[in-house]
Amino acid sequence: MASRRDAPAGPAPVVVASGLTRLYAVSEREAGLAAALRSVLRRSVRQVRAVDGVTFEVGPGEIVGFLGPNGAGKTTTLKMLAGLLHPTEGRAEVLGHAPAERRPEFLRQITLVTGQRSQLQWDIPAADSFELHRAVYRIPPARYRRILADLDAMLDLGPLLGKPVRNLSLGERMKCEVAAALLHEPRVLFLDEPTLGLDVVAQRRIRSFLADYNRRTGATILLTSHYMADVQALCRRVIVIHHGRLLFDGLLEALAGRLLPHKVIVVQPSDPAADLRPYGEVTERAPGEVTLRVPRAAAPAVAARILAEVAVDDVSILDPPIEDVVEQIFSAGRAPESGAGLRP
Amino acid sequence: MKEGGRLAQGPGTVPLAGAARSLWDVYRAEFRTSVAVQMQYRAAQLIWLLGTVLGPVVYLAVWSAVAAASGGTVGGYDRHTFAAYYLTLMLVNQVTFTWIMYEFQGRIREGSFTPLILRPVHPIHGDVADNLAHKALTLAVLLPTAAALAVAFRPAFRGLPPLDALLLLPSLVLAFVLRFAVEWTLALAAFWTVRTSALNGLYEGVLLFLSGQVAPLPLLPQPLRALADVLPFRFMVAFPVSLAVGRPLPAAAVLGLSAQALWAAAAVAALLVVWRAAVRRYAAVGG
Amino acid sequence: MIEALRLFAAFVRVAVHREVAYRANLVAQTVQSVVGLGTALGGLAVVFAHTATLAGWPPSELVALVGVFQMVGGAIGFAIQPAMQRLMEEVRTGALDFTLLQPADSQVLVSVREVSVYRLTDVALGAALLGAALARLGARLGPGRIAAFTLALAAGGAVVYAVWLALATCAFWWVRVDNVLVIFETLYDAGRWPVSIYPGWLRGALTFLIPVALATSVPVEALTGALRGRTLALAAVVAAAALVLSRLLWRAGLRAYSGASG
Repeated sequence: MASRRDAPAGPAPVVVASGLTRLYAVSEREAGLAAALRSVLRRSVRQVRAVDGVTFEVGPGEIVGFLGPNGAGKTTTLKMLAGLLHPTEGRAEVLGHAPAERRPEFLRQITLVTGQRSQLQWDIPAADSFELHRAVYRIPPARYRRILADLDAMLDLGPLLGKPVRNLSLGERMKCEVAAALLHEPRVLFLDEPTLGLDVVAQRRIRSFLADYNRRTGATILLTSHYMADVQALCRRVIVIHHGRLLFDGLLEALAGRLLPHKVIVVQPSDPAADLRPYGEVTERAPGEVTLRVPRAAAPAVAARILAEVAVDDVSILDPPIEDVVEQIFSAGRAPESGAGLRP
Repeated sequence: MKEGGRLAQGPGTVPLAGAARSLWDVYRAEFRTSVAVQMQYRAAQLIWLLGTVLGPVVYLAVWSAVAAASGGTVGGYDRHTFAAYYLTLMLVNQVTFTWIMYEFQGRIREGSFTPLILRPVHPIHGDVADNLAHKALTLAVLLPTAAALAVAFRPAFRGLPPLDALLLLPSLVLAFVLRFAVEWTLALAAFWTVRTSALNGLYEGVLLFLSGQVAPLPLLPQPLRALADVLPFRFMVAFPVSLAVGRPLPAAAVLGLSAQALWAAAAVAALLVVWRAAVRRYAAVGG
Repeated sequence: MIEALRLFAAFVRVAVHREVAYRANLVAQTVQSVVGLGTALGGLAVVFAHTATLAGWPPSELVALVGVFQMVGGAIGFAIQPAMQRLMEEVRTGALDFTLLQPADSQVLVSVREVSVYRLTDVALGAALLGAALARLGARLGPGRIAAFTLALAAGGAVVYAVWLALATCAFWWVRVDNVLVIFETLYDAGRWPVSIYPGWLRGALTFLIPVALATSVPVEALTGALRGRTLALAAVVAAAALVLSRLLWRAGLRAYSGASG
């Protein structure tokens, strides 16, 4: 059992980010031929701060969720920690290494999974990609067989491995992606939207697998996700990043009350002119669809009232998207705050 | 989906003048789009041009070396007449070449043919317009390049007799029609097999020898030369080139042009037949 | 180097595994290889119908040149081109991230991990043709010439690899460079003839800019004894320099990719 971050006098941190900053140079050009010619001579370049002075530590065995709207700097932070991007300023340290040096002994202990891109080769069966992985990571055959058997038991890969990856469904492919990423038994996992686009069943499957893997191996996991459910199921601790700055670092429950005070009710009224304002705050009105925000506890009752009193085609109760909530809570330049349980 | 489009329709369904006008509109629109698209890939266009230029230059260098080794002339050609031959060939080749056989592979593989088949215009018109757009754009670079090569290789052009000059334009048009129809027809093989690259390679090899690119046809050794005489490939490149740089007797020129016209007509007929079969096949297999 | 060969073997194994399922590809590729060879030999037949030597090269030496041309072309198509195309593709899509996170030298990894197995037919056909041509050259072949040939071929291969890597590395700065590779393919075609027949500017381009000649004409000259020792030494130096330069360029490309300064 891995020691958790609330253990007294925890061991040395696995991941350290200290004043981590990343600037992107974005070249700008006005439209038009004259501007194009001018830009040949003098390109106007603007510096964008994708990540701005982010500092945190993660202990062994922790699962930490990164929250923040699109473009907040989550992925850039992960990429700096994995060694794909050099920090412009500040320092990253993972397992005692500077990630950007990409030393083989460092790379052998980490892995990166992204829901958007595939590391498996499209045209060959996943088993062949695994075999290449084994060669590159120099995994001894006996150990490889054991790991593969374990992963198979947990993810039920058997029937998938022989098919060309392009013939797999997204959920099946993601299982293979996750398995490929874990073949070398990494100690640190960087997961960037690992459940993106998956159906609910597949999401739950991946989630419970990751939790299980963390329990069994004590691996440290850093995770970004669009889905609140991912974070709620896996992470006790969350880090909120917005406009490249760290806004919150602490226990999920300390944030949850603030983060999720509302539920969203989406109504498709049969009569497009129906007035739903009495039931809650109307946040969006699309043709044939009205979105309401209601207090969390009241949501079931309000939905029942709508069903009883308004002619509707459909009603659904949803968690507000993380993006919206984070944007809403931390917008308007509110000062960064720290929750309870913040690491010293 | 039985009819591929207007080309396949019998006459009389649309008044001829109206049909011609609407086809003209199709060409104008396709041409404009193609120019816009190809302008996005200017660098790629220039790189393609490198192949157009380098092929003739390589054979020109080879034959200049042969002429030098044989005391200055081979079969009546010297360095300067070879230069005239290959520079002209470069331009004629540029006018007549197509990349359609390679394009079809991708179209079938990616399924981008389905919308083309459903349009009420035969898809070949879009391809012709696309081809012409590429040529119009690259001409601006090719002509200066040809001029520079002319300075480097000093070709010996002769004055073009009026009759040949008169015949050159129709022979270029016919060469374009013939080559386009043949290659478009061969490209349809992609409807039957996904591996058309072998066929493409074979065709390119044959074309290289029998259209006058490896050597002026009179220099080919005997069995090849007889083959070149009876097959249509020489009318795709070598014949217009010989009109421009050779000294054909007027009778031979007119005879050649007639033969070229017959081959072009035959190729268009073959195209129509194979296209119908291909569309039937497409409908049956479901793409 | 051993590490590179070990990885290469692993990737070839998987590629063979994948390709045996598509035997029709073998047939198609064989047809193409034979057509390519036939075109080259046919060209020679046409030329030598009119002359006894081309720029001092007798027919048997030119046949050897065609053999080497086919072999080297096949080797490029087998190992170098597919790997470099995949590299550019991955730079564009961002999938290179996964490659960079693997615990092996990234340059080695991107260079060995994609092969087109069936292009080996070109290597086989070219080698057979070269063998036939050598049999006719016969007795004049001493071990010294064989060694010089091997060295020249290795140097030429190294230079070709370095040029491809350099071209593909451009993708780090200009994302759409696929077409740059067409430049190499186009110029490579000129390598089936002795480079000495070309006018100066083209000869220069084929020797220094896109050094096709180093991989085709020069090795054959080593076989026929037409190559001076100094040229061979120069080729070796050029090859070493090209490898070093391509390595530096690769590093610079990676730095640009990950945004390190300096």
